[in-house]
Amino acid sequence: MNPRQEVIAGLYRARPRSALLRVTLLACAALGLGACWSVGDGLLELVRAERLGNLRRFLERDALPYPLREGPFRFATAWDWVSGLWAGGGREGALATLWIASSAIVLAAALGALLALLGSRVLAWREPFVSAGGRGEVLRGRAFVAASVRLCSVLARALPEYVLAFLLLGLLGSNAWPAVLALALHNAGILGRLGAETVENLDPAPLAALRIAGARRPALVLFGVVPAALGRYLAYFFYRFETCVREATVLGMLGIVSLGAAVQEARARQRYDELLFLVGVAGLLVLTVDLVSRVTRRWVER
Amino acid sequence: MLVLGLALLGASAAYRLGLDARGLLPREGGLRIARDFFAAALTPALDYEVARPSGSVPSFLSRLAGALWQTVLYAAAALSLALLPGLVLGCLASSSVWAADPMRMPSAGLRRCTARLVRGLLRLWIGMLRSVHELLWAAVLLAALGVSPATGVLALAIPLSGTLAKVFSELLDEASQKATRGVRSVGAGPLAVFAWGSLPTALPDMAAYTFYRFECALRTSAVLGFFGFPTRGYHLRAAFEVSRYREVWSYLYALILMVLLLELLGAALRRRFLA
Repeated sequence: MNPRQEVIAGLYRARPRSALLRVTLLACAALGLGACWSVGDGLLELVRAERLGNLRRFLERDALPYPLREGPFRFATAWDWVSGLWAGGGREGALATLWIASSAIVLAAALGALLALLGSRVLAWREPFVSAGGRGEVLRGRAFVAASVRLCSVLARALPEYVLAFLLLGLLGSNAWPAVLALALHNAGILGRLGAETVENLDPAPLAALRIAGARRPALVLFGVVPAALGRYLAYFFYRFETCVREATVLGMLGIVSLGAAVQEARARQRYDELLFLVGVAGLLVLTVDLVSRVTRRWVER
Repeated sequence: MLVLGLALLGASAAYRLGLDARGLLPREGGLRIARDFFAAALTPALDYEVARPSGSVPSFLSRLAGALWQTVLYAAAALSLALLPGLVLGCLASSSVWAADPMRMPSAGLRRCTARLVRGLLRLWIGMLRSVHELLWAAVLLAALGVSPATGVLALAIPLSGTLAKVFSELLDEASQKATRGVRSVGAGPLAVFAWGSLPTALPDMAAYTFYRFECALRTSAVLGFFGFPTRGYHLRAAFEVSRYREVWSYLYALILMVLLLELLGAALRRRFLA
């Protein structure tokens, strides 16, 4: 073996290895294969004659937009069909979806900012951001509050919005609150965690200087932490806004007014062409919001 | 300024919806429901609340375990189905795979044009895959194919592949330039730079993200139960509708516990992986 190969072999032997990683990787592969195996019958069943017949009927008859079904295509009928659907549920649903998502995300951002400030470890130090290398001395009470706030935000984001909205709907009755609250709670948990991480990763030097100059905690937060962390937090805000709109489209399926409600109605009446139209509207709405929020995010981060 | 504007947006949205503080009060009879519901939180059920004739149905705990297992199966099957298309689409949509070869200047213009066109179309395609929510896909697929486990798995897998593709392509483009420059400097062509430079650099992040997506898929596959698939949501809905709140809480706790465990595992992995 020449010295070059020896070095390479040495590097290979010294590569980082982790038992946990290997076990997890194996377990994931086994789970994936096992799951495909056990649902595999179902997957094969999809190409059976009966299912294919279903699919053909769906594509050739049910899903075909009404104006294309009989006779030659006429632009006027198509326009009537589209505008009828848009006026009869599409427009209202899309707007309601947007309103639900935006009031929920604003509520979530306010709550999440609170959670982030209370939950960040650095602010629980006796002298926030002031450290001689390593971590600062911790105030017991504040650290306890921070830990329990973090636990709350974990719990808030562990439950899916849909389940949360379903439970709230049972408790509050049917108005828009269950949808807004469910989205707001879930997203407050997420924004709280992301915000806390942002605060902990801030450049400590200017903030430590503020502290040493005698700023008390509220002043430090108001004039130091908030201005420094705001840009990042707004970027997260717009990132979650898009997911919020996506989620709000389906909350209507529970009976709250949004696009989901119109979809569910079309499903119940077995008007599958209308269903496809509404699903398309939902997709376009989310796509547009995604585009807008991406542009805004870039603008905010600059 | 922006913050003020956003607050105004929220307020006007709330106004449009007709939200007021009164709506927050539980509806008639809701107060009693709320009290019963939250009282049940302390004593989640370990058995059916209403005794069933023995032998005719599986015990509550085994049904709970069964529902959990189904939820995991749906999520895992969906993720393994979505991984390959996500990977392929993600690689194709990233700009680094289309990077022009600096050695061959003459063809650069045409190449850049086609690359931009293909990438734009792919991005639109990916956006369409993922902007339609899983449950809407489920509604469409149920109408087209009828109820079967595969319908649920497909409904989870389609938007999942779109999301994976989008994030993979972004991670590939953000991959550190050090590695790619190193590979290029020994004379590798663009494809080799991608395969031995960008891809290995981004791989840990991609794996971590896939793991996080599994967590999301678990949540969504639980929700699919609301549509009649045998995951947890099905039992949760049934138990809530007949006011067996202690059973509801058992399902909720099981879901929260599962997500928490996964999150801890994910955090531990990320620490070792990305250190």
